[in-house]
Amino acid sequence: MKLHILHANIIYANIIVSIKSFYREKTVVFFRLAFPVILILVFGTIFMERDNEIFDLSIQDLDRTPSSEQLVEAIRLSKRFTITKVSPAVDAKTYAKTHKRNLIVIIPKDFEMSMMQKMESDTFGTPVSLNQLYDPSAFGVTTKLGVLDMVLAGINQEMSGKPPLIVSEPISILKKKYRFIEFFVPGIIAMAVMTASLFGAVNVNAELRQKGVIRKLFTTPITRIDWILSNVLYQFILAVLSTAVMLLVSYVVFSVSLEINAWLVVFIALDVFSFVGLGMILTRVAKEAESASAAADALMFPMMFLSGTFFPVEMMPEFLQKFARVLPLYYVNEGLRAAMVSVDHAAALKCALTIGAFAAVVFVLGSMITTLGGEST
Amino acid sequence: MTQNPEYAIEVTNLTRRYKGFAAVDDISFTVRKGEVFALLGPNGAGKTTTVEIINTIRKPTSGKVTLLGMDVTQKKYKIIPRIGVLPQGFSTFDRITVKETLQYYSRLFCNPNTDINGLIALVNLQDKVKVQYRNLSGGLKQRLGIAVALVNDPEVVFLDEPTTGLDPRARREVWKVLLGLKKKGKTLFLTTHYMEEAELLADTVAIVAKGKITAMGSPGELIENNANYLVAMLKSVDENVFEIVRNMGLAPAYDSQGHIKVRLTHTEDVRRLLNTVKDSGASFAGLDVRKPNLEEVFLKLTDEPLAQGFVRIKGAE
Repeated sequence: MKLHILHANIIYANIIVSIKSFYREKTVVFFRLAFPVILILVFGTIFMERDNEIFDLSIQDLDRTPSSEQLVEAIRLSKRFTITKVSPAVDAKTYAKTHKRNLIVIIPKDFEMSMMQKMESDTFGTPVSLNQLYDPSAFGVTTKLGVLDMVLAGINQEMSGKPPLIVSEPISILKKKYRFIEFFVPGIIAMAVMTASLFGAVNVNAELRQKGVIRKLFTTPITRIDWILSNVLYQFILAVLSTAVMLLVSYVVFSVSLEINAWLVVFIALDVFSFVGLGMILTRVAKEAESASAAADALMFPMMFLSGTFFPVEMMPEFLQKFARVLPLYYVNEGLRAAMVSVDHAAALKCALTIGAFAAVVFVLGSMITTLGGEST
Repeated sequence: MTQNPEYAIEVTNLTRRYKGFAAVDDISFTVRKGEVFALLGPNGAGKTTTVEIINTIRKPTSGKVTLLGMDVTQKKYKIIPRIGVLPQGFSTFDRITVKETLQYYSRLFCNPNTDINGLIALVNLQDKVKVQYRNLSGGLKQRLGIAVALVNDPEVVFLDEPTTGLDPRARREVWKVLLGLKKKGKTLFLTTHYMEEAELLADTVAIVAKGKITAMGSPGELIENNANYLVAMLKSVDENVFEIVRNMGLAPAYDSQGHIKVRLTHTEDVRRLLNTVKDSGASFAGLDVRKPNLEEVFLKLTDEPLAQGFVRIKGAE
């Protein structure tokens, strides 16, 4: 089939039909608009609390003296723990298992006496010990132990009455202090646009082909370019709408501090072009709707989890970080964060060029192998 | 074959092969402007391949096809605005209403003056204007498909098996619409495996089997030229009669009502049949002898047994 000039009125007609089909299918509306918002609300709420997290801490005071009670009070005053007292009469290990506690601090029976001796001798000998009974398999227990160590270090320093010799002053490379939600929202935008574009291209084209609608379209003046551009523009309109909803919810619910600039539109457009192009290739290669969907799944899931959507790629092992850097979604994620979080135009441009090159290759390839008829012409 | 302005379609030595198999095997025919032409044949005869080559969806392996004076392999984008196509198993966007569907296809043809309401009236869908495609019955979907094929006021309309899969009532409703188009003088190119449909609608019928045209002419001509035999039907027979007739060297077949049908080449065969059955002592309620109809001619030309067609035609496929 020859590449004829495109027809604006045909593209307009296709977009109108696609949008009408979209809003009349409530399930699609839900997954397209509400699902990413739910993800933002759920993960945003979980990690919002993590930024100022207060941990549960169980303390078993076997000493039951004014000194041990002062220590418990000092830990409470740090405001990093909600303290639950464990009766000295119970076995701490059994208590931890039955009450699902991942950390119990045990103040030993001779705590006050040891403290008095230590203070009177005023030497650097063996310190007074507290026992920490913990479950190493529990999620977050290491962080909790670290916070407890920090609190105890503060108490130690206060009791010694001497100023600290060394302190660290954190200096952020960013202008403002950012929270996890500000890292998360650009990732969800990139992911939502990717899944919608990929599945939109795969499902709609495969379904229409299977039902014979594309066969009928082939007997009208519509050209391949008209059809492909209609698909891309329709996906772009929905991507902008979905992004606007995600940002609105993020601003209203979490008061996010994210920069809105032209890069946002650029990255959404490149995201759409890349994954509609990839979808067109899958539709043509797989032919059957089911196998095209399966192939889309196989591509999408590694990208979702390995390209820094939910957590920074730096948290992954080195070989997975290298793998992440060949995934196109990684550059959309990084580019959006450079544009919206750190407002680093040079970094955004670098990412835009990389994903732009990928988009150009898959889109041109997808356009070349897409046909409207029953056979390649 | 030279181009003739009288013809809407000229097909010359058309062949289409798939991996060595000839789906269409060196066929030639013409369709006059304003004519209703039916390509009649069993499933797999090559009807759809032929129509899809003529309406530019497929490419031929060899041969030449001109449509409205233009080569279909060269002038696709000049031909398309002048033809309308109802493809086999027509389908469109599920959640788009009848009116919106027609508006959409009208926009594809850049035809703002399409009389959408007129088309809706033509296919009698006035009370379904706001109904989404997915909620239409099979017959209504086909009628919408016909209206879609007409949005650009085409000179030639291709209808590929327009009533396949419809119940008898829906089929008759579609025929009513097609008869209306015939009255308007449209050139219609129809493919079907329903004899009744071809007989009712077509001016010219081409019978196609295994990729070749085996006979062509008006329904009357086809019967006249090919009915060089009689059809005898023995009614309410006992079980032995079938074997008795077969032992006479004839090829009997049961029809859907349990009667025995048999082709007789000579008039004296009638007397021989009657005497043989009587002499055997077998009972039967009556014997009808008549000239074959188009369906029976079709079955003979496509080498199919007499009863096979009846079973298929009577069923709502």
